[in-house]
Amino acid sequence: MIIAYALRNTHHPPVIHQREKITMISPSLSTEILVIGGGATGTGVAWDAALRGFATILVEKRDLTHGTTGRYHGLLHSGGRYVVKDPHSAVECIAENRILRRTHTHCIEDTSGFFVVTPEDEGDYPDRFLAACAETGVPCKEISVAQALRREPLLNPRISRVFEVPDGAADSFLATHATAQAARQAGARILTYHQVVGLLMDGGEGDKRVTGAVVRDTVSDETIHIRADLVINASGAWAGQIAQMAGVGVKIIPGKGVMVATNHRLVNTVINRCKMPSDGDILVPVHTVSIIGTTDEKVADPENLVITPGEVQFMLAEGDKLVPGLSRARIVRAWAGVRPLYQEGFSGDSRDATRSLTLLDHKARDGVRGFLTITGGKWTTFRMMAEKTIDRACEHLGVERACTTASTPVPGIEQGHYWLGHRLHEVEAEALQGGLVCECELVTRQMVESAARRNPTVTLDDLRRDVRLGMGPCQGGFCTYRAVGILHEIGRERHDPDFVLEGEADAEEWEVAYLQSPAQSSKGQSITAHATPGATTESALPTRSPAIDRRSPVSNPNLLLRDFLQERWKGVLPVLWGRQLKQERLDELIYLSLMNADHLPDAAAQSPMTGFYRGGDGEKKIVNGE
Amino acid sequence: MTDLLIIGAGLAGLTAGWHAAKAGQRVKVIAKGMGVTHWHAGTIDVLGYTADGAGVSRLLEAIATLPAEHSYGLLGEERIASALSAFTTLTAEIGLPYAGAHNPGENLWLPSPVGAARPTFLAPLGQVAGDLSTSQPLLVVGIEGMRDFYPKLIAENLSKQGHTARHAFLPLSLFTPRQDVTTLQLAKLVEEPSRLAQLAEGLARLVKPGERVGLPAVLGFEDHPAVLARLQEVTGAPVFEIPTLPPSVPGIRLHSRLRRHLEQMGVRVEVGMEAIGFGTNGDRIAWVETETSSRPLKHRATNFLLATGGILGGGINSDHTGRAWEVVFDLPLTIPQARDGWFRPHFLDGGGQPVFRGGVSVNQHFQPIHPDRTPVYTNLWAAGGILSGADPIRERSVEGIAVATGTSIAYSVLRSQDNDG
Repeated sequence: MIIAYALRNTHHPPVIHQREKITMISPSLSTEILVIGGGATGTGVAWDAALRGFATILVEKRDLTHGTTGRYHGLLHSGGRYVVKDPHSAVECIAENRILRRTHTHCIEDTSGFFVVTPEDEGDYPDRFLAACAETGVPCKEISVAQALRREPLLNPRISRVFEVPDGAADSFLATHATAQAARQAGARILTYHQVVGLLMDGGEGDKRVTGAVVRDTVSDETIHIRADLVINASGAWAGQIAQMAGVGVKIIPGKGVMVATNHRLVNTVINRCKMPSDGDILVPVHTVSIIGTTDEKVADPENLVITPGEVQFMLAEGDKLVPGLSRARIVRAWAGVRPLYQEGFSGDSRDATRSLTLLDHKARDGVRGFLTITGGKWTTFRMMAEKTIDRACEHLGVERACTTASTPVPGIEQGHYWLGHRLHEVEAEALQGGLVCECELVTRQMVESAARRNPTVTLDDLRRDVRLGMGPCQGGFCTYRAVGILHEIGRERHDPDFVLEGEADAEEWEVAYLQSPAQSSKGQSITAHATPGATTESALPTRSPAIDRRSPVSNPNLLLRDFLQERWKGVLPVLWGRQLKQERLDELIYLSLMNADHLPDAAAQSPMTGFYRGGDGEKKIVNGE
Repeated sequence: MTDLLIIGAGLAGLTAGWHAAKAGQRVKVIAKGMGVTHWHAGTIDVLGYTADGAGVSRLLEAIATLPAEHSYGLLGEERIASALSAFTTLTAEIGLPYAGAHNPGENLWLPSPVGAARPTFLAPLGQVAGDLSTSQPLLVVGIEGMRDFYPKLIAENLSKQGHTARHAFLPLSLFTPRQDVTTLQLAKLVEEPSRLAQLAEGLARLVKPGERVGLPAVLGFEDHPAVLARLQEVTGAPVFEIPTLPPSVPGIRLHSRLRRHLEQMGVRVEVGMEAIGFGTNGDRIAWVETETSSRPLKHRATNFLLATGGILGGGINSDHTGRAWEVVFDLPLTIPQARDGWFRPHFLDGGGQPVFRGGVSVNQHFQPIHPDRTPVYTNLWAAGGILSGADPIRERSVEGIAVATGTSIAYSVLRSQDNDG
């Protein structure tokens, strides 16, 4: 620790008390629990472990939520979707739904949800649905079609029955960041852009033990060894690849789901088809858009998912059955995520695989000690998955410590439930219009600066997940240039003697509770410090940012620009026609013809994400390079 | 009776209108909106890069290598050169003179808003001093709090390319107490004498001997030439504008002066009129119908020029089934009718996105044609971004194609009327 901090700027005193259980003997770390995977599950596991007093390190190969967590439709399940087909999941969902509304309040919009019977949905499913809701304890009330249409005027008027359930909309980016901050406050270390390249193993045949992991910092390209008493594999769709490193077979059923976002909220309530869960049968209002989901297709590779024009057209046609005319709405983006489904011995379609969580204890299952895999489940049940995992971890480590996550709110909940107008309200109340860098999503310059300074930032896509930069109709057309210019302005000169070597931002720079709030960002506040109104940004924020210049990619504006343009292109490619195609052509006019961004210096520079955005080659090069 | 009805008020439509009106034609321009000029740099990009990605230095030599179906291939070097020369005359006439590189026939290389060198053929005098073909050191001055211009980024990238460049800031409070000002509002604020004096004084303190000074393109709106002259006089240095993120003040200056000039020549320019239908008389267009706030209007004319722009201008629309269509006359398009073939996986792919190469095919008179090369209508012409055979944004020819085809068509129309008469 002392060696690492000696190179630091003196006005950033070390915060050692939070990390006293971690000893740093370069180039290795040791801890009690090592969590692999920075999605909702892994972050939840780290939070639970740290709250129970375990020394905890989490490693994630990219940014938090880069995997499936950041690519789902945003539904906070009531359980209604599974009451008939998978009642066990339904019971888990409604229990967790109630808990998350208390622990992650500001990450949830209380939209409520409808299950609607369209003319195409025949048979006795609605009655079975109602009965199953009662059996599983999912609150459900039938309301009149007229009442439903008053609340949702765009809904198909030909529906025959409507049931209301306590569905919600969740911001999985914010929730995971908030959970990560809570974990850090409890003493956990979170290392993003750290990829596990191998597991450390002891013992011979029949008495193997996982003792840690070999981890590569994908930004600095340094390799570190992390020793741990227990390694928890929470890598979702990648869990099979990690387990393989311990010689253990875990067969994940990767179910690809395609989602399509419209540029408006067509509905303010979650709309489900009242039928067996299938493709394109759910519409979720999330922030400024509504998301139609989803498909379910077994795929071989969780990376480089391809979305075909046919898949998008199918989703739009299904969407038309819920909201007639949806297929003519302006579509801003399409993306795909991979469900990490697991069912021991299962060989059918991924749609039929259980949504329940699975905890694999590799000591009992495979004779490998010190290693657990947690998979399956869904975003809504991430906290419960973490609880069950750490319960088992306590057994392994021979201690009894009770789980407290269900009654421990994460930072920021005093903001109350999310509501659509909160940014506009704050921008108008505080007169922040002049600072807007992303007019689509109402992101201010201060929000960009604050997000970049207060949590690890390697690419503009990390900022997108933090503050919704570039997520609106123009898909980065205007804000990409502005964000690049701003980050470059506040970045530190290269070869600074104070260059920070430690692989992590200080706690005071990891502050995500108010990432979404223009007003709080403009005050430069942290959760504890309340600046007086009118105080300037400069006085409340450090003038230079370790979070920006520590990592080289973000200090190269040309690389930031190229990566983000490609990242945005990837998501609009499947939905370019009509007005969105015209918008895309304007983005070409700006970035090619006006900026000449394809003729900038540093053409060969690469970030850890460059290969991923390009799809294929670059990513493989990184893997082969080890 | 209108001789020439032009649909579209972009650079192609206005240039054609000027030439036709000057030749005594009765011209009317109807348009839904303003065209791409408002969003671009205000320069005349003629050809910046060849198909293999090489930067174009000598323009006409590069144009000679283009395929025959390219608009420039159809025009030939002579017609392109004379159109550009006529356009330079036009800019002088409207009090906003444009100029080219020091060596005639070569491209200018001007600093872009990210500090790349962008190739263009003609630029407003206010941008020409930024030409990166010369080695004079650059001082790039930004305005603190202005969200559409980043001088540090520009200067660093210029330095990386071997230029001597540094940056500095002036406070926004020099111009306005407000925080949320647009580039156009700033341009108008700069014209007020007291603010202009403060700006000039601020710059004079920043500039070192031997430097030229680049500023965001907000140096006045109506009085831009006077603002520029005043700043050069006080600082004693060459002063030039660097384009900002759109909307583009140089583009709006050009467009509004052109429009006013045409109106002074008796050309009616009606913006806010979307063409929604047309009628024919044999193989001729008889009228075009537009939607206005009160009632549909029928516009009759002898000749019709389609200058509605391509996908960006709104002249071509498309839907999720992969259908693409020309919005006024439903002319045949060269765009494949399936989305699978429209794009490549990389945004910056040097070959461009295939969908943007498609458009309306024309004969050497720039009349839209069927696949069998017969004209669709004998009195219909097409100019600018809607034409097939080029991706103007990739090759940096947006304004060049507009000006050259607009000019050429005006003369083709005149010749056709002489023949008819």
